[in-house]
Amino acid sequence: MKRRAKRPSGIVDAPLETASQRRAEQDRLPSVADGRLRTYDPAADNVQAFLRLLGERITRSLAVSMTACVHCGMCAESCHYFLARPGDPTMTPAYKADQIRRIFKRHLDWTGRVAPWWVHASSPRNDEDLNRLKNIVFGACSACRRCTLNCPMGVDTGLLVRFTRGLLTELGIVPEGVFNVSRDQWETGNQMAVTEDEYLETLQWMRDELRNEPGMAGADIPVDRPDCDVLYTINPREIKFDPRSIAHAAKVFHAAGERWTLPKWGWDQTNFGLFSGDDRLGAFVAKNVYEAADRLRAKKIVISECGHGYRSTRWEGYDWAEFDQKVPTESVVVTLQRYLRQGRIAVDLSRNPEPVTFHDSCNIARSGDLVEEPRWVLGRVCADFREMHPNRRQNFCCTGGGGLLSIAEYRPLRLEVAKIKADQLKGTGAKLVCTMCHNCVDGLNDVIKHYKLDMRVVQVLELVSKAMVVPG
Amino acid sequence: MRLPLSGHLRLLENEVQIAALLFMAVVYSFRLLWIFRFRARRERTFPAGSEAAGIRYSLLNIMMPWAMESTRKRPWFYVQFAIFHLGVVAAIAATFIIPYAPRVFEIGAVVRAFQIALAAAVLVGLLRLARRLRDPAVRLISTVDDFLSLLLMIAFFAAGVLAVPNDYRRAEWPLLVFFGLTAFFLVYVPFSKICHYLYYPFTRYYLGRSQGHRGTLPPRRPAASGRAEPGHGRGSRG
Repeated sequence: MKRRAKRPSGIVDAPLETASQRRAEQDRLPSVADGRLRTYDPAADNVQAFLRLLGERITRSLAVSMTACVHCGMCAESCHYFLARPGDPTMTPAYKADQIRRIFKRHLDWTGRVAPWWVHASSPRNDEDLNRLKNIVFGACSACRRCTLNCPMGVDTGLLVRFTRGLLTELGIVPEGVFNVSRDQWETGNQMAVTEDEYLETLQWMRDELRNEPGMAGADIPVDRPDCDVLYTINPREIKFDPRSIAHAAKVFHAAGERWTLPKWGWDQTNFGLFSGDDRLGAFVAKNVYEAADRLRAKKIVISECGHGYRSTRWEGYDWAEFDQKVPTESVVVTLQRYLRQGRIAVDLSRNPEPVTFHDSCNIARSGDLVEEPRWVLGRVCADFREMHPNRRQNFCCTGGGGLLSIAEYRPLRLEVAKIKADQLKGTGAKLVCTMCHNCVDGLNDVIKHYKLDMRVVQVLELVSKAMVVPG
Repeated sequence: MRLPLSGHLRLLENEVQIAALLFMAVVYSFRLLWIFRFRARRERTFPAGSEAAGIRYSLLNIMMPWAMESTRKRPWFYVQFAIFHLGVVAAIAATFIIPYAPRVFEIGAVVRAFQIALAAAVLVGLLRLARRLRDPAVRLISTVDDFLSLLLMIAFFAAGVLAVPNDYRRAEWPLLVFFGLTAFFLVYVPFSKICHYLYYPFTRYYLGRSQGHRGTLPPRRPAASGRAEPGHGRGSRG
């Protein structure tokens, strides 16, 4: 039996910062004024509100995950937080989930109501306790669901964490970063507050750049074109920091002879509601995309390379928005695979000679369905592909998932536990790490920088675009 | 020819057990009603896989130690799990065999097999108890219920080792202890962590259904790379 020396808890003791919330109230932002975006009210009975929301919102699958944990501790070694901090028992997924489970037991379960001390059932006493809960569910878990797939009982700790985040978000007990991004997405329809002018100008700029490439003179980046086969939706990060990825997509669509368009409104496929646990925000953002497809009579929604965007738009979004799916919704990587299979684009893998490894995004591999597709594509556009270990559904989080990239106060802990990811990356010997997620791009860049790895992050579209053989 | 039992033991083996079983059944019925009181959500998306296959895979997951990293990397823990739960099956079976099919325990080999299974379960129970006490991560999440449930199971297995020879002519106390514990268990279990077997099908069902719908479970083999063409097979509807 392996004995671990106990070490102090790594859970960050961050106070509740509400400066942004107060500013939003003073500015009378519409989302705050009409109650869509909730702010913290220190005078309110937040504990009672939390308990009421818990009772109202819990679903059957969550309720059974609350009750089924047998505290076997098998989840511990599936969590990168625990692996990087062995001996810190507060990093165990079961411990983190127990912080909401104990409240559930105290108020909704039998034994906990009658004999709370018997089953560690307890109630939050005040806002301080709720703030500590915030620091656990937002700061010590990226909701990657690796523990879920490794739980013998099938307890979905990732979903419990998201559910708890949602309750706290409703009370404004959230990290500032979460509030700020939610505010931007409520107010502007995209999480980076990209204006319409900025959006259209960037697309125009990329179109002009692309037209200068050989064989791309007739390429276009159409906006709001009706009756297309593909409605392409993107991550605002592409407009702000990585517009070349839009040009790569446009290049592929042009070469494949695709009838495609971007929408003028409803182009942001990312969804901070997934991270904050706010289903109303999730519904608002996802519905923007679905309604854009309806409005433009598009035959298919294609989602650019984004892990949580894919999970939100392809899967959870329809549920949040209570919108029955009408048109196929797929990742651009699946589109690329189809083009390659159908011979609609030609590639030469010798154009990507450097050793490449692939990082599976948690939201795509564990909460989605795409594991082999990116490998199939990379196998055709890269000369030297190497797996990292573990991979596919067992891959470790980039450590920036679950909205953690937006939350500065948890960054030191995030980078500390990123050692697991750094070791995994180093072990491949690859020079390029490819991922089909913009969030993972930033997460991996942080890991590479912090652990001084000799690697660069790329995405599938970039490698395909580079490998493409374009006549003319 | 079986000699008559004492009144106490007869009562404990029969009426008390039946009453305790009925109590358990009633509590479980309420428990199931309680679970169904929570709303279930429905899928609104086109499937990328099969819900039925996902559910099947998820429910059978426990019999596939290679399927989860947690059990793949720690095979000894999985062996312990198997031994412990075989002990549970043996002990429960003994509570029915002794009063209703006592001839089974007139066969020496059967008695020895049961005793070995139960004794092994005692040992595993002790190992699990030691782990719960020694490992800081497991100790922190352990409740009084976790400890008591484990201690009770160890005592139940140990009593079973002594009870399965069913030699009440020599001494009735092992049987009295075994059936006394059984009756207590039947009443206590619905309120303890031991009833996790009631929740197992639910957690596994919901996980399997959602992951099966998304095509995440059962996992695809690496060789089966490539998504079907539109209109053909999984993923075709996107």
